Formats: sequence, C-alpha cells, structure tokens
Amino acid sequence: MKKKKCIAMLLAGGQGTRLGKLTSSIAKPAVSFGGKYRIIDFGLSNCVNSGIDTVGILIQYKPLILNRYVGTGESWDLAVADGGVHILPPYAGETGGEWYEGTADAIFHNLDFIDMYDPENVLILSGDHIYKMDYNKMLEAHEARNADLTVSVIEVPMEEASRFGIMTADKEGRITKFSEKPKNPDSNLASMGIYIFSWKALRKALLEDHEKEGSSHDFGKDIIPKMLGEGKDIFVFRFEGYWRDVGTVQSYYDSQMDLMDDVENINVFTKHSRVFSNSNIYPPQYLGPNANINNSLICNGCTVYGEITHSILGSGVTIGEGSVVEDSIILPNAIIGRNCRITKAIVNEGVTVDDRTEIGSADGEIEVYGKAKLSI
Amino acid sequence: MKTIGLISANYQGNRFGELTENRTLASLPYGGRYRLIDFALSNMSNSGITTVGIIAPYNSGSLIDHIGIGTPWSLGRKNGGLFLMPGTVYGVQAEGTRFLLRDLLVNQDFFMRDNADYVIVTASSDVYNMDFRPLIKYHEAGGKPLTMVYTKVPKGEKNIGFFMDIDEDGKVTSIKKEGKGWSNYFMDCFIIDKKFMIDFLQWFKALEHMDMFEIIMSNMDFMEIGAFEFRGYLGKINTAKDLLKVNQDMCDYGVRNEVFCNPERTIYTKTQDEAPAFFMPGSDVRNSIISAGCRIEGTVENSIIFRSVNVGKGAVIRNSVIMMHGDIGDNAVLENVIADKYVKINDGVKIYGGDEDTPIIIGKNQTI
Repeated sequence: MKKKKCIAMLLAGGQGTRLGKLTSSIAKPAVSFGGKYRIIDFGLSNCVNSGIDTVGILIQYKPLILNRYVGTGESWDLAVADGGVHILPPYAGETGGEWYEGTADAIFHNLDFIDMYDPENVLILSGDHIYKMDYNKMLEAHEARNADLTVSVIEVPMEEASRFGIMTADKEGRITKFSEKPKNPDSNLASMGIYIFSWKALRKALLEDHEKEGSSHDFGKDIIPKMLGEGKDIFVFRFEGYWRDVGTVQSYYDSQMDLMDDVENINVFTKHSRVFSNSNIYPPQYLGPNANINNSLICNGCTVYGEITHSILGSGVTIGEGSVVEDSIILPNAIIGRNCRITKAIVNEGVTVDDRTEIGSADGEIEVYGKAKLSI
Repeated sequence: MKTIGLISANYQGNRFGELTENRTLASLPYGGRYRLIDFALSNMSNSGITTVGIIAPYNSGSLIDHIGIGTPWSLGRKNGGLFLMPGTVYGVQAEGTRFLLRDLLVNQDFFMRDNADYVIVTASSDVYNMDFRPLIKYHEAGGKPLTMVYTKVPKGEKNIGFFMDIDEDGKVTSIKKEGKGWSNYFMDCFIIDKKFMIDFLQWFKALEHMDMFEIIMSNMDFMEIGAFEFRGYLGKINTAKDLLKVNQDMCDYGVRNEVFCNPERTIYTKTQDEAPAFFMPGSDVRNSIISAGCRIEGTVENSIIFRSVNVGKGAVIRNSVIMMHGDIGDNAVLENVIADKYVKINDGVKIYGGDEDTPIIIGKNQTI
C-alpha cells in the first residue's frame, strides 16, 4: 500500500447537547445545514479539496443518519482505492467494550487504523465546524518547521478570548502556553480544534496519556499541555477566513444565514473549493403562481405557494398557500400547511406543520420546532 | 421470470435545430436538471430491472458523460448492470425510427448471453414514469410473444409514430403510421420474449435497414401481439414546440406529483452538487421551475430554469426554457425562447419568439 503523507481523523461522535431538539435523534455533524448540506460536508469537502484522500470518521452518538449519509464517501470523491472514508465506531475487544471517553481516547482506540496507513502526519478535525480551509498550507508549515504538532488558530476579539482555548505564541509562532477559557487572556489566538501531529509524536503521547491516572483523555486538556510540558515543537498556524463552531442554536442559525448574508466570506456558490454533499435526488423546485420569494435560499424538491423572506428552505420542503416564512430555516422535507406564520424559527427535518400554525416571533429567541423525523 | 431492459438511443431529432446538432435526443437537457434518457433508465431501475443495455449513437459523448457506469440508477453492478453498446451509422435515418433492426442485430449478444426470459425495450426520449412490473405480469399472463405499450391520445393526427388497432381480446390487429381522432398511440415501449426476439432477428435480417415495427406492420398475419395500456402522463417530444410544452408540464400539479415527486419511483439523474438557488431581493418568480445553483434577481414566469443560471436585475423571462449555465443580463427580456447551455444574453437584449407554437431556439455557447 502507498504510504500516506497525511490522513485525517474526524471527530464526529459528540452529542451537541446545546443544539437541543436538533440533535435529539441525529449526531451533530449530521445535522442539516444551509438547506442541502449537513455540517460534516464542510470538513469532508475541505479534506478532498486539500488532497487528503483517507479520512477516519469517529462516531458514537446516534450515528444512524451520519453513517447513511457518509456511505462510501463517493459524494466527496472519497471512494478511492488505497484510502477513502472509514467509519470508526467504538468496538468490543477480548476484555469487553469501551466507549470513547474523550477526543484523544477516541483516537487512541484507533491506533491500529492509523498504523495500518502508517502516515507521516495525522490531521485531527472536528465534524461540527463551518469553514473552508486548505489543510495543505497548514501541512506545509508543519513540515517546514519539522513540528511535532501544529495547531490551527484564528484571531478573535480580545474581549471574547476568554470563551476559547487560547494559545500564547512567540514571534516565530512557537506555542509557549495553552490556556482553556482563560479569565485574563494574554493572547487572542483561539484554537480551532484543528491539529496536525506527526504520527510518531502523537502515537507516543496517546500511549502515555492512556496510562495516566485521572486524565480525561482530551486533546485540549491533556495531550497538548503534556506535549508542551515535554518541550515538544508545537507551533500555531494562523488561519484567516470564515470559521464558526456551530455549537449553539444561535450560532447554528447565524452561520446558515451567513450563507446568504456574508457570501464574501463563506461562499458555497463558487466552483472554487466546492462544498460537496450527498443529497437525495429531488426534482427542481416549483414556485406556484402566488409564490413570493425574497432574499432566500431554496433547494431542489421544494414546492412553494407562500411567501418567503430572508429564509432557507431545505430540500423537499413544501410551503402551503398563504403561509409566510420570515428569517427562518425550514429543514429538509418539512411540510408547512396553509396560512402558517413562521418567524425567526427553525423547523426540524420532516416535521409536518398544520394549517394556521404560528411559530416563533421576531423579537424572541430562535425557536426550534418539532422533533426530526428520520427518513431516507 | 427474469426481465432485462434495452434502451434505444440511436436516433436523432431533426426538428430541434441546434439543440440536437451535437448531441443525441436521449441526452437533451430537460426539466431543469434531467436528460431525457433519465426517464427510461429510472423506469427500468424502479421496476427492479438490474441489467440494462443502451444502444448509443455515434455522437454519444454527452450521453456517456451523463450516464457513466450507471451509478445514479443503481446500475453500477457486478451482476448485470449497464451495458453501453454501439449503434450503427446508416446514412440518413428515417425520422422516427426507434428500433432499427440492424442495431438490434449487431448487439444480439446482449440477448443471447443473458438467461432472461423477457426483454423490455424502450425509446430514450419520452417523459413518463411507469412501473413495468404490471406490464411484465400482463405479458406473462397473455402468452403472446410481444406486448406493445400504448396510450390513448385525443388527436392522433397531431402525433408522430405508430398507432394500433386492438380487438376486444386485447390483440393488436393492425399497426399504422397515422392516427385520427382518439387513437391508440404506441409509446415506443414493448416487452418481448427473448427467444422470440432472437428468432425475429434471424427471420428478418435481410431487412436490417428497417425499423422493427415497419417489418411487423406488414407481417401482421402471423404475429400474435398483445397490447398494454398506460394511463399516466406521457410527454412526447418531437418538435421544439413539444419541448417547451413538455417542460412547462412540470409546473402542472398532477404531472409534477405523478412523474417527479412519486416517492416510490424517483427519477434519478447525475448529480452535480450545486448550491441552493439564491433569490436576491427584487426577484419575482411565478409558476416556474428553478434548479439548484441559480441566482435570480429578475422576473420569471411559466418558465423552466436549469442549473446555475443567472437572471439579472430587471430581466424578464416568460414561457421559456433556459438550460444550464445561462447568463441572462440585466433588463433582458426573453419570451418563448429555448436557450441551450452556456447561452449569454447581454444586458437589455430583448428576444421574442413568435408564439408558444414556434419558440426561438438559441444554440449552445451563443452570446447575443
């Protein structure tokens, strides 16, 4: 088998509790995004657009839709010989089974997988970030410095720095300190949760961390501090561009609206570094004689008779006559009856909304309506 | 009983001007995101047929590009799957010849090799969504070696193709080339016993330049032919007018539900992964089909807009079909127009086709 320069490990097992109903039956990376995408599309597309053709996807929480969605990886051009996507669930061994206890633990349980490919470097990704990034540039920087670890960072406003994991680096970019959500930050370089490790260094750190009593087996809390303490060569890679962690309903909502409102920074329309997806085949959308659509994104398979303003309609959505949808996101296959009023709300996948229902309000919190109905 | 499928794509449409100059009718873009052959392929696939041959014409580049190894139709298989077979080049073919005997003869290995009992044979340019399983059952029960599929049309004289007279026992008594009034219109779709097909090819191989049904027409005396009625929607595209009309039929609630939104029988096609369509402030779209990747700032009425089309500010598109990657400039006006791929209409240009019956066709890559 060809030796790999870099393979990716995509952490997709988290529940995403803060997304509430959105993740009650779907793992966070598989939550619908921007009408026709799922959150994981961004990470997978970044991989393939960066020439990384081997991706391990670590799953744990309610993986049904995620597994089906990823499939063979063909939709992202990741159905390749000598690589491709691999779904990596927790598994049982001779002495019983274990759940993934932390991000580093999940990777630890798949040492065999990585050894199988024996790559020079391993890229660790989160399956729940919205951004477009060329990992090659980061890999080049990592290799040029012969680093043990390179951490991708983004500048955040100083006053918000205490919400992030903050890296303090010297002029050369060598990380001197890592502080998780510091009260008095001395840097505004926030970790994006994207790491490139040299496999040799990571392998050693994982094995040692596994033996350590009291470790939470987390990259941020355990592995990076440990490697820093050992004086390993750890550098920042500064990413400039759009990057969002869609961990809360508000950020999930805002980031989707950015697909319309901030095309300059997060552009899914361009042919350059495309965002791929594995959507079902729907007919093109039909807009009825009285449909009125303004400043919105509408996907294939939609049938619209009502009025849509500044909203996103996912694939296969129906909007009945007389209904008004404003500042809202209707997730795929939801059916909105007649004369409904939906304002600043998110309607869950496959939910049917009866005629004359009112959901959300212009000045309230964003309402998430209904429980996702899983279907293929 | 095992059934395999055969799709004939080796015929041209010569009434579409530049639209079919460099592509086969089977790969003519249709309905926003489809190519015409998607319907034949999806019907086969949705009816549980897992071995499908396609007789391709010499200019099949666009067809091969679209079909690939048949993955979207679940035909990328080890056992069976898609067989792309060469059609013959035979001078100028008679219009309407769907089942040239010579095409079937040179590809008869396809029948011989498979252990199937029946073959469903269809043309590749008709829009309909049909479950072939009841047809297979009917054919099996009827015991005749050949069963033709027809639909009733109100004005036979307005259609091009074959018409059938059927007796009360459901036997085809004659086949003609003209219809009048309510007629039984042959849908270029039939099911045939494989053994009979092989025999037929041997009996008539001297007439290889003829269409299979022209031969049958004049040999009705010793043909036992059954007839199966299809009661759904049939979009038959013989002229530019038909092309506009059958595209617009997609806006019809009944047609949309029956043909395109049937959860049991999806019409599959090659996916292109376009972004959602973006309706900018000022867009006004009514009774129209819009595809992914479009960016709409103008007005669209009673029209079909394909993938990745830009409609500029103040532009007006009525009763038209704009194929993929069209770029319609600000304040341009298009009425009764069929524009092929990559057509660019400059700002302010106004084009009015004669009327719905005679839409103007704008060829691929043209800038106006």
